Amino acid sequence: MSEQVTITIDGRELSARRGEKLLWAALRNEIYIPHLCAWPEIEPPEASCRLCYVEIEGRERPVTSCTEPVIEGMVVHTRSPRVDRLVASAFELIMSDHHLNCAKCPQHKRCELQKIARERRLRLRPSRLTALPRRGERDDSLKTIYFDSGRCVLCGRCIWACRELARVGAIGFSRRGYKQAVTTFGDLPLAETACTECGECVEICPVGAFSYKINAGGERESL
Amino acid sequence: MEIGGSEGLLPVEEILSRYRNDREKLIPILQQVQEKLGYLPLAAMERIARAVRVPAVEVYGLATFYNQFRLNPPGDHQIKICMGTACYMVGGQIALDSFERRLQIGEDETTPDRRFSLERVACVGCCTLAPVVVINERVEGKVTPTRVDGILLELGLEGLPEQKNSASEEGGKTP
Amino acid sequence: MSAVTEIGLTYAGLRRQAEEKATRLKAQAVIRIGSATCGLAAGAAAVKEAFEREISKRRLPVKVLETGCLGHCHAEPLVIISRPGFPGIAYGFVDEDLVELLVKNFLEGDDPCYEYALAALDPNDVFPTFEDFPRGVYEKKIISGESGIIDPKEIEQYLAGGGYGALAEVLARPPQEVIREIKGANLRGRGGAGFPAGVKWELCDRQEERERFIICNGDEGDPGAFMDRSLLESNPHLCIEGMIIGAYAIQARQGYIYIRAEYPLAIERVNVALNQAREKGLLGESILNSGFSFDLEVFQGSGAFVCGESSALVRSMEGERGVPRHRPPRLTESGFRGKPTLLNNVKTFCYVPPIIRHGKDWFKGMGTASSPGTALFSLVGKVAHTGLVEVPMGTTLRELVFEVGGGIPDGKQFKAVQIGGPSGGCLPESALDIPIDYDSLHEAGAIMGSGGLVVMDDDDCMVAVARYFLEFTQQESCGQCTFCRLGTRHMLDLLTAICQGKGDLKSLDTLKDLAEDIKAGSLCGLGKTAPNPVLTTLRYFREEYVAHIREGICPAKMCPDLIVYYIEPEKCSKLCNVCVGSCPVDAIYTREDGLKAIDQKKCVKCDNCLKTCPPQYQAVIKLSPPEKLAELEGKK
Ligand SMILES: Cc1cc2nc3c(=O)[nH]c(=O)nc-3n(C[C@H](O)[C@H](O)[C@H](O)COP(=O)(O)O)c2cc1C
Ligand code: SF4
Ligand code: SF4
Ligand code: FES
Repeated sequence: MSEQVTITIDGRELSARRGEKLLWAALRNEIYIPHLCAWPEIEPPEASCRLCYVEIEGRERPVTSCTEPVIEGMVVHTRSPRVDRLVASAFELIMSDHHLNCAKCPQHKRCELQKIARERRLRLRPSRLTALPRRGERDDSLKTIYFDSGRCVLCGRCIWACRELARVGAIGFSRRGYKQAVTTFGDLPLAETACTECGECVEICPVGAFSYKINAGGERESL
Repeated sequence: MEIGGSEGLLPVEEILSRYRNDREKLIPILQQVQEKLGYLPLAAMERIARAVRVPAVEVYGLATFYNQFRLNPPGDHQIKICMGTACYMVGGQIALDSFERRLQIGEDETTPDRRFSLERVACVGCCTLAPVVVINERVEGKVTPTRVDGILLELGLEGLPEQKNSASEEGGKTP
Repeated sequence: MSAVTEIGLTYAGLRRQAEEKATRLKAQAVIRIGSATCGLAAGAAAVKEAFEREISKRRLPVKVLETGCLGHCHAEPLVIISRPGFPGIAYGFVDEDLVELLVKNFLEGDDPCYEYALAALDPNDVFPTFEDFPRGVYEKKIISGESGIIDPKEIEQYLAGGGYGALAEVLARPPQEVIREIKGANLRGRGGAGFPAGVKWELCDRQEERERFIICNGDEGDPGAFMDRSLLESNPHLCIEGMIIGAYAIQARQGYIYIRAEYPLAIERVNVALNQAREKGLLGESILNSGFSFDLEVFQGSGAFVCGESSALVRSMEGERGVPRHRPPRLTESGFRGKPTLLNNVKTFCYVPPIIRHGKDWFKGMGTASSPGTALFSLVGKVAHTGLVEVPMGTTLRELVFEVGGGIPDGKQFKAVQIGGPSGGCLPESALDIPIDYDSLHEAGAIMGSGGLVVMDDDDCMVAVARYFLEFTQQESCGQCTFCRLGTRHMLDLLTAICQGKGDLKSLDTLKDLAEDIKAGSLCGLGKTAPNPVLTTLRYFREEYVAHIREGICPAKMCPDLIVYYIEPEKCSKLCNVCVGSCPVDAIYTREDGLKAIDQKKCVKCDNCLKTCPPQYQAVIKLSPPEKLAELEGKK
C-alpha cells in the first residue's frame, strides 16, 4: 500500500501522505484554510476553534479539516455557502471577545486573525454582535514577556508548548465555559511560577496574547 | 484562614498514600481532600500535583472546572438554592434574591464572619416541594421570602430588623 | 458437572434462600416507607421514627422497611402497609397523626382506614388498585415496577422476585447470543440520543483489543430530571444485573457506575448493593461459578453537566478536565484508558434483565415499531401528580400530561411542556398529540432526552424559560469551542435584553441565526443542542417574544423588569394588615384612607404580598407593562 494518496481540493489534484490531516495537506499546497487551534504536532487535535470547516464530497455536513485524515480520492471544497457562514460566524464570535487594538499589538501584520480576515474578506470588528467586556488583566510581571488575556483566543497552543517543548508547565486552562482562561496555578503572576521566559509561548501564539517586551531599540528585552 | 504548613496537610498525605499517588485518581483525591479540609487550599493542590507528578496548574485547572470543588473555606451554614427547572419556575430566583438581600452577599460568596455561604445548585430531585433550598444537607420546601427570614432566624442570624432597612437603602453587597 | 448446570444450581440456591426469607416476610405485617430522596425531603425519616415508636409502644410484631420511590412523589411521605389477609395498601401525605391512627386502627385493629388510602397494590374486592386509576391504565412498569416495593438495601428482596435470573440464564449461553437478543429487541439508548444498544455492544465486541471496560452513565445533569437517581436509589440491583450481563456480552472484566456527587443517597445504596452482590458471588471472581469474572466500582462525578457527554465522562474518570473530544474514534474503539468501552445510560442497562427474561419479542410488543418498550419520565412543574411515570413509547404527550399527570392544577391553562431539558424544547398545545418516541419528538424540534418533562401554565413566560435553559448551558459549557462558549453567551445577552424589554426585532433574527450556527458548528452534543429551547420557543411562541420587545409586556407576568405589583384599592380591606408584615423590604405602607399601597422604589418584586393577601380579597395583582400603573393611578 503506497504511503501517498491523491486528493482533490478546490479542483486541484494533489498528493498527500496517507492519514495526514487534511488541513496540513491543504496548507502545504498553499491552499489556505482558516485555523487557530491546530498545530502539526498537537495530536489528537483539539478542534476547538471551529474555523477550519470544509466540505468533503459524500459527507452530509461540513467537517473540520484539522481532524479529517486524508484518504485516496477525497474531493474537498474549501468554500461553500455553508462553510462560509460557519467560518464567518465563528470568526465574528471570536472577534467579539478579542480586545481589538491592532495598532498597539506587536503581532500586527503577522496576526492569524488579520490573515483570516484578509483571506476570507471578513471584518475584524463584529457587526451583528456587541463586543463582550474585556477579559482579564495584562500580566506584566516577567522581565521579557507579557501576557494579555484580553487578546487570547483560547487556542491552547501555548499550553502545549510550555509543557511539551519547554517542559515547564507553568500555564494551563482554568475554569470553564465563558470563564475559561489561560492562567497560572492559583492565578499567580507569571513571575511567581516556574516560567523560564524561554519564549516558546510567544513563538506559538497565533495572536499577540503572549508577546515579548520590546526595548527602545526595537529588540526583545534581555533577561 | 488559609490552611498551610505541613501539619494542616497531614490528611492530604494520608489520602495520597491511600491512592498510591495515582494520577488517574486525581478527582477522588481532590474530593476526599475537600471532604477532610472543607475546601482545597492552594498548598494542598501543590502537594497533590507534586505527588502525582503533574504541573500544579493542571490540578488548579481541575479544581476550577468542576462545580463541586471550593477554593475557599465554606461558611458554617451552607445554604444551597435549587435552580432546577421546577424550582426556577416557581420562585427559585426569588428565594436566592431573598437570601442575598438578607445576608448581603451574592451567590458563591461567604459572609465576612464566615457564618453563611450561598450557592446555587442544579436540581436536587425534590421538584414536588419547589422552590427548594438545602440548608446544611437538610431540604426545605416551598421557600418564600418569609420562610427565608424564618430559616435565618433559626440559624441565629441576628439583627434582621435593622438589616431590613439598611438592605433596602443601600441594596449593596459586601464582597 | 457441566458449567451450565453448575451456574443453574448456584443461582437456584441463592434464589431459594431469598424466597424463604420473602415467605417469612409475607407472613407478617410490613410497613414500607418510601425513602428515596423525594420521600426523605418530605419527611419520611420522621414518619419512620413515628411508626417505630408507635409499634414498640404497642409491642406489635411489625417490620418496618425503608424502600425507594413508588413514583407518586406528589403524595410523599408515602407508605405501604401489608398485612396478611389484606391487600397491600398505599397511603399518601403521611404525618405523625396518620401514623398513630394507622397503627391503632389497622395494625392493632382491623380497619385499613380506606379513607386515607391512595390505592391498593394487589387486586381485591374492596378497594381500587393503582391500575384502576387513569394513571394506572396508561402506565406500564417494566423497569420501575419494583421501585418503592423492595428494600434496595436487601439483595434477597430483588432475588426473590427473580432478580439475577437473567444473568444466570445468560452465563449459560455464548456472549454473542446476548448481543443478538439485545439487538433484536431494538433497545435504544435511554440517555438521550436513542442509539441502538445492541449495535453499540456489537461494535465494542468487534474490537481486536481484548481488554474492555463497561460504564454506566448516571450523571443525570438535566436540571429537571431524576429518573436515574430514583432507579439507583430504589432498585440498584436491576441496573447492576444489566451491567453484568453487558459485561459478559463484551467480555469486560471491570466496570464503573458514574454517579454525580449531588446524589449521595444513590451512591450509598449502590455501594451497599455492590457489596451484597459480591458476597453472593454475583460479582467478582467466577460469577455464579461460571468462570466469568467481573467487578464494578462507583465513580463519583464532581458536578459538571458536560460530563454526561460520553467522551467528557471518560476524561473525567481519567483525572482530567471533563472536556469532550472530537469523535471518531468512538468510545467503543478507544474509550477509558484508550480501550474499547461500552457506555450506556442507567435506564438502558435496567431494560436488559427484563428483555433477557421475557425475550425480545415481548419487548417489541410494547411501544412503537421504531421505539419499542417503555419510557420513564420525571413529570414535574404545573401538573397535579408530579412524580416518576413509566409509559409505553408512543403514548401521546396529552395522555401523559392530562391522564397520567392529572392535568394542570389550580384551574390554570396548559401552555407548554418542556421535554428533554436543556437540550430539548418547549412544545405547545398543538403538539400535544405527538406520540412520544425518538423520531416524532425530533421532528417537532424537541428531543426525547433522558426523560425530564416539565409542564408549564399561563404563569410561565416562554422567553424567561428559554433564557433559563440558555443560562444553564452557558454556565455548563466546557468552554473549549468557539460556538458554544461565545455563541451561547451572546444568545444569553440577547435574551436577557428581551426579558428586560430592551431588545429589538432584529435581535430575534440574530438569535435564530446564532442558534443555527451553534447547532451546526459545535463540537459536542451540548453545543449542538443548546439552542433547542430558544429555537422551539421562537417557533411556537414567537408572539411572546414580540410582546416583550414591541410593547414591553411580559404576557405571563413573570419577567421582573416588565411588571409591577399593585394593590387594587377597590379590593383591599382596611382591616387587614398581612401584606405589610409580609414585605421583606418594608415597601408596603398604609395610606391616609387606611388602604395599603406599594412604594415602587422599594419593591423588590418578591411576590410575597401577592401570596399572603387573603383569598377573600386577592387585592394584590401584577401589571405589565409597568406603565399601566401610572394609568391606573392617574384614573383616580
Ligand atoms: C451535554 C451532554 C450531557 C449528557 N448527559 C447525559 C446524562 O446525564 N446521562 C446519560 O445517560 N447520557 C447523557 N448524555 C448522552 C451520553 O453522551 C451518551 O450518549 C449516553 O450516555 C449513551 O448511553 P445510551 O446509549 O444508553 O443512551 C449526554 C450528552 C451530552 C452531549
Ligand atoms: S495565549 Fe496565544 S497561544 Fe495561548 S491560548 Fe491564547 S491565543 Fe492561544
Ligand atoms: S460544544 Fe460546548 S461543551 Fe461541547 S465541546 Fe464545545 S464548548 Fe465544550
Ligand atoms: S483548526 Fe480545526 S478546529 Fe481549530
